[in-house]
Order: sequence, then structure tokens, then C-alpha cells
Amino acid sequence: MSQRPQRLLNRLVLLVLPALALFVIFFAVPLFLLFAIAFNRSQRGVVTFQPSSFTLANFARFFNDSLFFGALFNSLILAISVATLCLLLGYPLAYLIAKSRNPQRTTLYTTMVLISMQLDPVIRAYGLMVLLGDNGLINGTLIKAGWILAPLPLMYNWFGTIVGLVQNCLPFMVLALIGIIRSINPSVEEAARSLGASRWQTFFRVAFPLTLPGVLSGFLLVFSLSISSYIVPVLMGGWKILVLPLHIYQQILERANFQFGASIALILFVISTLAVTVYHRITQRTIGGLV
Amino acid sequence: MTTRGEAVAKQTGSVEHWVESEVPLIFQMFAGTSFVLMLLPVCIVVLSALNAGEYLTFPPQGFSLRWIKAFLSNEMFVRSYLISFGMALFTCVIATLTGTMAAIFMTRVDFPGRALLRAFFLSPLMLPGTVVGLALYIYYLGLGIGLSRSLGGLLVGHILATTPFVIGTVSAALYSFDISLEEAARSLGAGPMTAFWKVTFPIIRPGIVAGAIFAFIISFGQFDLSLFLSTPDLTPLPIQIYISLRYKFEPTAAAAGLFAILLVVLSTWLIGRITDLGRFAGLKFS
Repeated sequence: MSQRPQRLLNRLVLLVLPALALFVIFFAVPLFLLFAIAFNRSQRGVVTFQPSSFTLANFARFFNDSLFFGALFNSLILAISVATLCLLLGYPLAYLIAKSRNPQRTTLYTTMVLISMQLDPVIRAYGLMVLLGDNGLINGTLIKAGWILAPLPLMYNWFGTIVGLVQNCLPFMVLALIGIIRSINPSVEEAARSLGASRWQTFFRVAFPLTLPGVLSGFLLVFSLSISSYIVPVLMGGWKILVLPLHIYQQILERANFQFGASIALILFVISTLAVTVYHRITQRTIGGLV
Repeated sequence: MTTRGEAVAKQTGSVEHWVESEVPLIFQMFAGTSFVLMLLPVCIVVLSALNAGEYLTFPPQGFSLRWIKAFLSNEMFVRSYLISFGMALFTCVIATLTGTMAAIFMTRVDFPGRALLRAFFLSPLMLPGTVVGLALYIYYLGLGIGLSRSLGGLLVGHILATTPFVIGTVSAALYSFDISLEEAARSLGAGPMTAFWKVTFPIIRPGIVAGAIFAFIISFGQFDLSLFLSTPDLTPLPIQIYISLRYKFEPTAAAAGLFAILLVVLSTWLIGRITDLGRFAGLKFS
């Protein structure tokens, strides 16, 4: 690269300028201002940053009020359970796709995972609501068959929220795992088998440990996706499962308390960034970076 | 870029892989459950849209196009669909242009902090969309130049959310491109632009097209960023369906969803036709 004429390099810089300008003006600066506002005194309706009023009162309020503190707790519980369930359900599917010898089938399966992932969460929630609602497919069918008298509580509670989030995040887990499972050298497994290990011993002692970095990165990815979801807890939890994104929405759009809303957003941002940074570190080391 | 997995698969092509029937039964059962969980809601939306009755029951009450007709004659839903479609088209063009240019720069020029810049460009994928949308909303309000709750402001958000996909797919294509091909063209007398357009561009075009389709579909289904930035007269389809779901259950919303599903299926199929889907494992989409 160093032999390239300086003039060409200067021209190449022009290529990155539009994206850079866009990302600085409409991404870095707004995020920075949002977090600066979190340290301003709460003043209803004021959106601009006030340099003179630095305070930690918003955070003190957050951690002293069990309503908000509890929402943080709910968010963490929810994200950890969703990530665990996604791992349990996603690993076998990723394994099946990775080990498939039929390229057409691999493409078909991957396409199905991608379709589920790219469809917007609201439409998928609609499908789940028809399935799990009190008059939904499951309850309707069971009542008609006379197996139950009253509808089972499948929605507007923890169960519905967790099912909705697992539904949303599962494709990400599967995609995070396929690559690393495929990268296990089959001869390692065969060596274990030929030395007398059973299929399950081979899996738990040889294959699974080799995929641990993928397991961890998939877990963190799903954790950060589900802790920041607004739509699923609203639609599937029916405002009964209070999590951080719901409070952010309320503080901003219903109370116009931008400073306090920003401080909750900052707390969510820090948690999710921590998870993502660790995720990034792991993927950098194992698959040489994303993409 | 080929993952290490692909490289290993190539090296050991002769070694017997496990065939699917050898994947333990319990794995197959869990994998089946995953597939059902991922795809059943999609199938239910399709069934609700084509169902004859007001509520979807099991078994369905019969096939009917009444909800499709109801959607097509519902001004609000059709308008939202068109708004989303138009925004997705515009977003796709801008994101593809800026993203491709940035990807070329970052794969061709080595400079200190390149990894950092790359992480910066990919970070909208990693950060909570609601927080980014909120940051933009407050920023627009503070700027006071009419960007808040405007089409322009919403589009900027969508471009931010989709450009990383283009950067991702195009730089993947550029990394696996053999630069000596372009250098050969240069040494045979082609100018830098000619060499790029005649040699490099045709080879990385699948990556660019895949990025463009991703940008389109991510913008079309974007909920998180639109939440704070949409207005009553500017409601993209996901927000419109969300609003209608909050009040009552309309099969009309499912019919609108059916058209969104068709678009997603079509575009994913197209991406699968032009690129190796396995390459995207590990990239986050949202």
C-alpha cells in the first residue's frame, strides 16, 4: 500500500467522508448529548444540554426507587433466561445445519432462519398473540376439546414475554453458532470415536468445548438484544412485566422528563455495551472479527 | 471472507462428515422445536390473513380473500405499507452508496485506528435501537431545525441502521477479492477507475447487491428506530401494525403482515441466490 501515490490515497479518503460525516453528526454526537443530558437536573420539557447543572440526582432516583430498580432486575432476569433458553434450543439446530452434508438443505435451513430473523418483530408478535391469547389457538382448541375449563395464562405474563423474546432472538443464536460448529475439524471427533469414546462422550468432551467461544458470544448477543427490546415486553407482557425500555418510553413520551429518561437509557446502554464489547472481543479472537 | 470452518471443510473434504441421521435424536427434536418456534408465528400470520372467520381457530374456518381486500381498501395500512416501501428504497440507495464507498476505503487503505473506525461503523448494529432512536429524537428536538418528527429525520435513522450491513457485506466481498487482479489490470495500462469498474466491481457486485437487499429489508421492518421518530401522519408499517395491535386484533393487520412476509421471503431468497449464506453466520442483524 505504501507504494501507492499520495494523490490516490488522498482521493480514497473522499470515499469514507460521507459515511463518517453521517455517523459523527447523527450518531456519535446525539448519543453523547443524550448521555450528557442524563447528568442534568430533571426539568420537564427541557431537551437541550445545560452545562451549568451537573447532578447525579437522576441516578440516585433510579437506584432508590424500587419501581426503576426492580425494572433493572426484571430486565436482567429476562435477558439471562432468554439467552439460556436460546442456547438450549439454538445449539441443536445450529449443530444440525452445520453438520448437514447436503448443501441444498443447508441453504434451505439457513434461508428459513434468516426469514424468521428479518421479519419485523411486530408481525411475529402478532402470530404469537394469536397462538397464545386467551381466545387463541392453543386455549381455544383445548377448551373446545374439553381438556381445560378456563384459558391457561400463556400471555401478558413472564411466560409470554420469555416465549416472545426467545422467538425473536433464536435466529441470532443459531447464526452465531453455525460457523464455529462447522469449524470443528471432523477428524478430531473421529479420533475420539476411534479411541473408544461414545457419541455423547465425544460431543461433551471434544466437540462442545471447542465451540465454547461461540456459545459465549451467542449468549451475550442474545442477552444484549433481549435486554433492549421494547416491543416484545409491551405486546407479550401487556405492560405487566416492567423492564427498562418501557420506563424509557414512559419518561420520554408520556412525562417529557428527558433527563431521567436519558439516565435510564444510559444505564441500559452501559449494560448492553459491556455485553457487546465482550462479545466483540471473543468473536475477534475466534473467527477473525465479524463478517 | 471464508470462515475458518469453510477452510477446514475444504482441507478435509475427503474425510467423512457426520451425516444428519447420525445427529442424536434428542438434538433433532430440539432443532425441530426451534424451527417450529421460529416459523410457526409466521405461518399463523399467513393463515390469519387468508382465514374466512374473524378469529383464527383450529382447524381454520376456510379460505377467503376478505382480509386481503380489507387491507387493500384500508387507507391507513396501504399508506403505511407504501411509506415503508418508499423509505426502504431511498434508505437502500443511500446506504448502499455510502456503505460501499466506506468499505472500499477501509479495505484498501491501512491506517492507524482502522479497527476502531470499523467498530464505530458497525456499532449501530450492536447498540439498542431504541436508545439510538431516542438519542436522535432528543437531538432533533434540541437542534430545532424541523428534523424532529419529519420524514428526513426518520430517514437519517434508517440509513444509520442499515449502512453497517452494507459495510459488512461489501468488505467481506472485498477481503476475499484477490487484489492482484486489479493490479494486473493497472500494469496492463488501465487507470485506477477503469481497473476498478472493469475488474473489481463485477467481482464484488454480489456483496454490494446482498448489502443493498439487506438494507432494504432492515429498513422495511425497522421498529426500534421508528418508535421515537415516527409521527401520526408518518407511520411506517411496523408502527402501524403495533398501533392497531394495542387496541384490537384485526386480521387486516395480518393481511398487511402477509405482504411484508412475501417481501422478506423474496429478498432472502434473492440473497441466497447471489451469495453464500453461510458467510453471514456471526454477523448480527436487527
